[in-house]
Amino acid sequence: MAMVASQRVWGANDRVVFGFMGVGGRGSYLLQAFAKRSDVEVAYVCDVDTRRFANAREAVEEAQGRAPKTTQDFRRILEDKSVDVLVNATPDHWHALGTILACQAGKDVYVEKPLAHNPWEGRQMVAAARKYQRVVQVGTQSRSASYLREAAEAIRAGKLGEVQLVRVFNMMEHPRRKPGTTQPVPAGLDYGLWCGPAPLMPYDPGRRWLDQWEFSCGAIAGDAVHQLDLARYLIGDMPYPDTVVQAGGVNVLKDGREIPDTQIATFEYGKLTLVLDGALWAPYMKKTPMAVRDTDEMPNWPFNATRIEVLGTRGMMYYGRHGDGWQVFGPDAESAHTGVGRQSDAEHQDNFIACVKSRKQPTSDVEQGHYSTLLCHLANISYRVGNRKLAWDAKTESFRDAPDANAYLRRTYRAPWIVPETV
Amino acid sequence: MAWMGAALFLAVAAAQAQWLAVTNAQARIASVEMGGPVLALDYELQDVEASADGPAWVFITARWPGRPDWEALPAAWLRGNGHGLITSPGKKRSYAWGLSEHGWPEKAPPEIRIRALRMRRIPGGVFDQLSLPGGGRDAAYGEVGQARLSTFWMSRHEITVGQYVDYLNEVGGSGAGWNPSMTNAIRCGIERGAGGAYAAMPGRANHPVTYVSWYDAQAFLAWCGLRLPTEAEWEKALRGGHFLDGDDTRRQANPMPKRPFPWGIEPPNEGGVHRCNYEGDADGFAQTASVGSFAKFDSPYGISDLVGNVAEWTLDWYTTSYHAQLDGFRMIRGGSCLDPAEACDAVSGSTRLPIKESGITGFRGVWAGPQPPNGR
Repeated sequence: MAMVASQRVWGANDRVVFGFMGVGGRGSYLLQAFAKRSDVEVAYVCDVDTRRFANAREAVEEAQGRAPKTTQDFRRILEDKSVDVLVNATPDHWHALGTILACQAGKDVYVEKPLAHNPWEGRQMVAAARKYQRVVQVGTQSRSASYLREAAEAIRAGKLGEVQLVRVFNMMEHPRRKPGTTQPVPAGLDYGLWCGPAPLMPYDPGRRWLDQWEFSCGAIAGDAVHQLDLARYLIGDMPYPDTVVQAGGVNVLKDGREIPDTQIATFEYGKLTLVLDGALWAPYMKKTPMAVRDTDEMPNWPFNATRIEVLGTRGMMYYGRHGDGWQVFGPDAESAHTGVGRQSDAEHQDNFIACVKSRKQPTSDVEQGHYSTLLCHLANISYRVGNRKLAWDAKTESFRDAPDANAYLRRTYRAPWIVPETV
Repeated sequence: MAWMGAALFLAVAAAQAQWLAVTNAQARIASVEMGGPVLALDYELQDVEASADGPAWVFITARWPGRPDWEALPAAWLRGNGHGLITSPGKKRSYAWGLSEHGWPEKAPPEIRIRALRMRRIPGGVFDQLSLPGGGRDAAYGEVGQARLSTFWMSRHEITVGQYVDYLNEVGGSGAGWNPSMTNAIRCGIERGAGGAYAAMPGRANHPVTYVSWYDAQAFLAWCGLRLPTEAEWEKALRGGHFLDGDDTRRQANPMPKRPFPWGIEPPNEGGVHRCNYEGDADGFAQTASVGSFAKFDSPYGISDLVGNVAEWTLDWYTTSYHAQLDGFRMIRGGSCLDPAEACDAVSGSTRLPIKESGITGFRGVWAGPQPPNGR
């Protein structure tokens, strides 16, 4: 493990001081989880929308008996030398710059997935983490599950024979959005800061950021990155595929969205093939029910919306993301092995805090987050150039002989929110 | 008709609990030639303000000899002028037949408790619903949509600590409906004493109850015979319909049918005037205030504290979350004493899992007829 420097010398009982950038759905969840820890002090809650302050403030007060400072501008957190960690739970388009600026300010970072809005800025995040010797953990918490290591060991031990095919499912039911209209920006929302590095679009709350290229990698990618990350781990964390080709598009939910509702992407890793089956129109596919998560019960695999299948020459494995566990089936379709599991949110948070203090690389280090998120970008870019098969050049992190595709490797930034060429 | 016995009503302390005053309550069992014994309930509603626009909601519970629990007398089992919405003060009487059908003794009357809650009438008609239903933070600020609601009635005030204590002492012997967070003296203030009796901490009885889950709120309101408001009901109660007297009569046009605040268009803190209990103590309250502290700024229907003080659970699901299938978030409206002034308006909302309590979220009740709305 690489060691990275700290500005502080940590005592065993020292509390790590946190600031939260973004306290929407996921940010609120993380806020409550970290605020409850005795080794964490939440000093700041930041959101561009002041309507989010009350619930966040109350949650922190409940957990630690003291109110955090509230601010709409995350730079107030970065300026405060007493803050150790920035939790970046913003929409995708703010992940890179928020993280890079935090690294430059000497903060460690817990950044939500998908890691970056585009491939180039993901690499810049890795560079910033390394240059400033920061601990940067990605919110792909399923990587911290001990049953993941057991399943990967079973594959390495040859229980499946030679792995030829990995299928990653992310099939959900999303609502068709009601189209909105341009509205006045409500008081208490710093909409310019919300747009940040992205174009300053007219304010239309009915136009969901998760479905638009300016702000997101998409609803499929944003969730499938968990399974892609786990699949990569199971087959040895190879950084790059050789090729990508996507099928699908906006086929069903034609409500003004730009990002596909149907995303079947094939990645070739030498002779191993990884397939993503992503869809937003499949009501019969369900995420693992809460009553099954964190039990020894196995999911109903055929209808499990987020399963991973690893197929080898001797056996195949079902792997479930939500503390589901895994099963190996042999040639006679009998279960050769069953491994149970539990969700690993707490382990992931433990690991982050431990690494902040030890300066070791965390389980979901920014570089692994970059490689996993890259698969989402590659599928999206194949779609954007007409569902064309593209060859990837690992050395340059760009497509071979495809200038139109390479145009999507990075974005144009809106001053002053520019991801720097040199971090 | 021969009266077989009578039991005096145990007075529910109106001043403490914010129930409206009820006196001289008696329960008797009378024998009638047809239909078997009947339970007759008599009392006086000491509510000089009771009116068609501001009726009392009266609900009755009873404890029968030999039975340990207080039991509701559902409105549908009663006949008379002494239950449900009551629009004038004075002597009231309701009857319950078929006691044996409910498994109740017929020889001696029960102890009874009669409670009355101030409601306000929201006449049926069209209003401008300016937030996306179930949209939470995706409110369509300023986007005009019209919705029509039948007449309904909403409690004037947020349910108070005193009322909730009264409820707990009647039904919460096993601890149901209570949780230790409620002992927080600045946000709620309910103590559970030795022997399991509940009490409001000094000065807290008239503050809104908090740390209630969505299920706690529903259970309290079911006890009252009420339910939570939908988002549409909540928003209409705040803003008013196109006609404040309703679409049947259309005499009183709403001067500000798109108002963002109960009182009109001025933000809660404009011009050094504090119109509701929002963040900070400039409005006189750093935390919650007694309900009705800003009565001068009630909604067009005379409903208090819809914005500020505590945010309020609604009946509605958060529908645009792509986790909705799994998580079942419910919508909360109105902003609280920890919210900035701009969040205390007709369209801002937040979401919370129904099992989660919060020190800045309370609730109020509505009645819209004997049937719940379709699909809820």
